[in-house]
Amino acid sequence: MRNSRYLLYILILIILVTLPLHTGVYLLNVMDVILIYLALALSWDMLLRSGQISFGMAGLFGVGGYAAALLHLNTGVNPLFSIILGGLAAGVLAWLVGMAVLQLRGMYFAIVTLALAEIFRVIVRNLPDLTGGPEGTILPSAIFAGNSTKTYWLVLTVAVVSVIASEIFRRTRIHFALTSIRNDEVVAKSSGIDVFKYLVFIFVITSAIQGIIGGAYAHIYGFVSPEGSFSIDFTLLPIAMALLGGMHSTWGPVVGAVLLGVASEFLKLYIPYGHLLVYGLIIVIAILFFPQGIVGTLGQRLKKPR
Amino acid sequence: MNPFGKLKQSNYQIAIISVILAILLAAWKPHVLIEGIQRACLYAVIALPMALILGIVGIINLAHGDFMMLGAYFAYFFNVYTGVDPLVAIAPALLAFFLIGIASYRAIIKYVLGAPELNQLLLTFGLAMVMEQLANLIWTSRPIKLSLRYVSASAAIGSFTFGTFEFVYVGAAIIVLVGLLLFLKHTSMGQAALAVGQNPRGAKLVGIHVDRTYLLVFSLSIALVGAIGAIFMTRHSIFPLVGAAFTMKSFCLIAMAGIGNLTGILWCSLILGLAENFVLSFRGYAGWADILFFALIVCVIIIRSRQRQVK
Repeated sequence: MRNSRYLLYILILIILVTLPLHTGVYLLNVMDVILIYLALALSWDMLLRSGQISFGMAGLFGVGGYAAALLHLNTGVNPLFSIILGGLAAGVLAWLVGMAVLQLRGMYFAIVTLALAEIFRVIVRNLPDLTGGPEGTILPSAIFAGNSTKTYWLVLTVAVVSVIASEIFRRTRIHFALTSIRNDEVVAKSSGIDVFKYLVFIFVITSAIQGIIGGAYAHIYGFVSPEGSFSIDFTLLPIAMALLGGMHSTWGPVVGAVLLGVASEFLKLYIPYGHLLVYGLIIVIAILFFPQGIVGTLGQRLKKPR
Repeated sequence: MNPFGKLKQSNYQIAIISVILAILLAAWKPHVLIEGIQRACLYAVIALPMALILGIVGIINLAHGDFMMLGAYFAYFFNVYTGVDPLVAIAPALLAFFLIGIASYRAIIKYVLGAPELNQLLLTFGLAMVMEQLANLIWTSRPIKLSLRYVSASAAIGSFTFGTFEFVYVGAAIIVLVGLLLFLKHTSMGQAALAVGQNPRGAKLVGIHVDRTYLLVFSLSIALVGAIGAIFMTRHSIFPLVGAAFTMKSFCLIAMAGIGNLTGILWCSLILGLAENFVLSFRGYAGWADILFFALIVCVIIIRSRQRQVK
């Protein structure tokens, strides 16, 4: 059972890695978008497992993107390395911010993270000498000179790293610590869990992942701008995906991201300006009717003897 | 549960700070003072219904500003089809949004009242998104505006001229605040609502119909914010995302004043409105004005949480 499961993972990975051999550029571009949102949805869900809901994903995504783009532009470091530096920048920022913000719980944490994302955006917009101001900055060329196969492999690497990170968190004691913090903080504290330390740790890790995704995104499209890089879409769409697929798991956000990513490609053809409407409806319907998400609901059905 | 309760004594401090700020400004930049007060009252009047929902029903309505946006569009199309002035359209807007409030409470909000806070936040977040995108789809993102002659009315003191129409916000803020306070303190329905806000179970035990009270308070707040949309659109151009900024600002004001402190909202919005206009008045730094609210919301929430820990 266990071996066959690993075999399945390896098979899926091989198919994904060799995908550029079978398909054209369009499908690869679609896959890029899906994988980027998949990684974002996973990173959001990883923090959610501690009971802290963040609305500030777009902020760290944008910070990572700007850091990567500006470092590459001004110091000439290798784009790939600058993406990692972007993740590092987001992680350090999250550490500094998290020291203060992670004292908060529930709606106060959520609102503060949303406000912080806005603050980052306003700061970036108002420093035209460094960031190019409202118009943003255009990189001389996209990463790998726009080669779609290599770009796809880059995004795939980021997504696979997020999946592995998420699985590591699910299988080690970190998982139990975070779950107990989510369920009852007082109990967690009295069983010897350093709540604050774990929260800062998970916040920094997820923010660094978001920063790396932001850096990759900036280099793939060769462009950063306050409205584009800090767009609320990077907060909303991953949340919708994680909700639809099922929270507190690795495969929930993955399933949600694939389903919604494919669906939105079709929806863009039919309602070009309204595909976000469907995302909003999915959030509302998911919360009202199946708060466990697709994976969670199916898992319950399968486990329960009928 | 409610880290911001019982802070009403701070009202006086906030009031004194805002009065001192106002006097300093009046001497230095009278424009900032007048426009700041007008802007502040606009913020306050939008935040008040949200505070009512948060204080009594206990839900953060992240779609609050979007109800205002719908109200603005309602007044606009009411004007286009019937030729009625938007300010007269306040009455039908009140009625229409009371019904919309009932519908959204019955269809959606009711089912997450007992759910975890996370679900409530996400639900209203999703609702906001649906409303914005629907508006975007139907009316497109093109800003629209009525050209009304009376909105550019102005008055002059010596060589100093200022717009007088915007004082309608001041009037609206005072009417809504006084009306809500009278409703809560002097009607049996309002007292029931207060009791439900303090302790739903206790209220139920003494025979208050909790669900009906929630329905009433929610619909009343939506009706108010819809009507404010009608006032808003007389002066400002409207587009689908116009309300979203006000949701955040309203929440900021509520967090600053403390949940359940309606009068405090007016004072806090005065500080913020004046500070924001003050920054806006410096050429070249106007872009930083947006940050004030957000920086303040972060500081206020963190400071308040520290205070709670010390106690």
